[in-house]
Amino acid sequence: MCNLTIFPTIENTAGIISLAGALLVYMVVIFLLITASKEEDKTSAKHKVYKVRSRYFWGLTIFLIIILFVSLQFLPYPHTGPKVDQVITVVGSQWVWKLAPGVSHENPKNFTGGNELSLPVNKNIEFIVTSSDVNHGFGIYNSQGVLLTQTQAMPGYENDLQYEFKEKGDYKILCMEYCGAAHAFMEATIHIY
Amino acid sequence: MIFTDAIELKRQRKLAIVWGVTFLILFPFLVTLGLLMRLDQGNLTTLSPTTFYALMTLHGLGMAGVLFSFSFSALWYLNGTRYVKLSTGIGYFVYFAILAGVSGLMIGTLIGKFGPGWYMLYPLPFTGATWSHWSIGVSVISLIVLGLAWLTGILHLLYTLAKEYGGFTHILGWQYLRKKENKRDLPPIVMITTISLVPGVFGFLVAAAMLIMYLLQFFEPTLNFDPLLLKNMVMFFGHLIVNITLYCCVGWVYALLPEFTGREWKTDKVLVYSWNATFFFILFAYFHHLYMDFAQPRSLQYLGQIISYASAIPATAITMFGVIAQLYHSKIKWDIIPLMFLFGMAGWAIGGFSAVVDSTIAVNKVFHNTLWVPGHFHTYLLMGVVLFIFGFLFYLFSEKGNRHGGGVAKTGFWVFVTGGYGFVLMFYYGGVNSIPRRYSSYAGISINSTATTGVHLAQIAVLFIILVLTGLLIMYISLFTKLFRRKEIQ
Repeated sequence: MCNLTIFPTIENTAGIISLAGALLVYMVVIFLLITASKEEDKTSAKHKVYKVRSRYFWGLTIFLIIILFVSLQFLPYPHTGPKVDQVITVVGSQWVWKLAPGVSHENPKNFTGGNELSLPVNKNIEFIVTSSDVNHGFGIYNSQGVLLTQTQAMPGYENDLQYEFKEKGDYKILCMEYCGAAHAFMEATIHIY
Repeated sequence: MIFTDAIELKRQRKLAIVWGVTFLILFPFLVTLGLLMRLDQGNLTTLSPTTFYALMTLHGLGMAGVLFSFSFSALWYLNGTRYVKLSTGIGYFVYFAILAGVSGLMIGTLIGKFGPGWYMLYPLPFTGATWSHWSIGVSVISLIVLGLAWLTGILHLLYTLAKEYGGFTHILGWQYLRKKENKRDLPPIVMITTISLVPGVFGFLVAAAMLIMYLLQFFEPTLNFDPLLLKNMVMFFGHLIVNITLYCCVGWVYALLPEFTGREWKTDKVLVYSWNATFFFILFAYFHHLYMDFAQPRSLQYLGQIISYASAIPATAITMFGVIAQLYHSKIKWDIIPLMFLFGMAGWAIGGFSAVVDSTIAVNKVFHNTLWVPGHFHTYLLMGVVLFIFGFLFYLFSEKGNRHGGGVAKTGFWVFVTGGYGFVLMFYYGGVNSIPRRYSSYAGISINSTATTGVHLAQIAVLFIILVLTGLLIMYISLFTKLFRRKEIQ
């Protein structure tokens, strides 16, 4: 599985890019607020703007195509490539996570598992995630509070999430899909040794 | 055709003002619900989770409904006073049906504590519910009433426009794509009305089908539907209604901005291609809401990202550059109305950009259902749609030739903009810090930094919401002064 490592986290990178985009938008707004006071024949003004627009159109189109191809290399979906070292079944229930090693063939309503689990570092772990009642979201956080990856837990469906923990320590599972009154209190722990 | 019947004009104007005043009452009420939620998250007040989620549900459904209703009513007014004759009877029927629907929702949420969120993700309304059983039925029926009201209004407007302009393909602007010369100009607002509202018809039909399934389950609890199918249906509808709300607003910017710049904004081939592409994007971009459902076919996930990216092209290259072409060296006087439109465009651009970033699957895996998402749509709605709406309200409430707005309106505007951007910034910062959304409290998170950051951001957001409400109050003084002065003159 690929992970973007150019910047500390994907969150920071996306935040910086978005901030830069917002500043650019406001530079255009300020430019318009200042320059609009001048008068120019509408045909000539339109011609100037549309000349820039043509370049912008092609620039944006090419840029989006490049980003599209690059970003599609970093998908969170299960791969056929890397070997799975360990399989964990995860069942979300109002309002508890149940985790147990191995593939479960039980009805999720009858599944028994703990909300703490120990797993080895640097191993490709496959989480088979489902729900016994409503939709939940299986989000893995590190001890610094960074969301590393996630998938939905949907009743009647299994979502397979592969993840390799690179560092030892305690990781928390928070619920990422609103699931009722105690949604904010639904947590589990994974110890990586 | 320019519609000139003075009595009819007066009737349509009265209907638009009724809509405007209703919006001005409901909007700050719904903002106050948001304020209560942030107060609770910031540990500055205590709400039970059941109350928090009931308020969250009303805030979400209410805002989406009120913003769409007003945006639609403004399009109704502009089309009905300029290009076609619309039935005020149907207009009032839609208005009162919507009021009935909103009242039902208020009863369901505030009294029955109905709280599965705006999207009522199946089967949450029926499973482990902490709300009254009757509130499910009341809320679902109220939503069906709302949908039927909107459908009635939309179909009447579309039918009347199509009849006036020679058929459905003509109001989509397809005659501009033929080599033959056009006999009659199509105003951009008519095409944008069509492009926005036809997907709306699809959206309301899908929502109606979903709500009927909910109603069946309400009466027959042993029924069981496919959660993934229903999630697709609700996200199709939800994404669409927010999207078309903004496009409705853009429709009146095309119609009204030229009045301030003195530059025509006409339909041409490029505009038709661009808006017809947008029609397609409105319908299929919603797949980006289901990236984290790995069971969804992979091709739809790719399609979600491709369409989300592509939708940025017509929005920026055509509409936003169109606004720049309108304003650049136009010697425009920066009255409150064009100022609102310009900043509304900026809010749309910034909210849209952060959405495109999040529509990248590799990014969505760490932003999905974090505070980044409300950051994006609050920018899009509060700093986009709401500014467009206030621009329109200043236009509607003012007398022709006296649309300056003055110092009071501009003071309110700057306070609102400062508060609004501060408020959304707390969401974005929360998203970058992985704070999950829809948490009634951060006390249950055992990661100290996450819980503390969540609380602090909510506390700071409270201050900015108070600024937003202050800005609104100041703008209200200006708006109602204009409205009453206009009435005195009449």
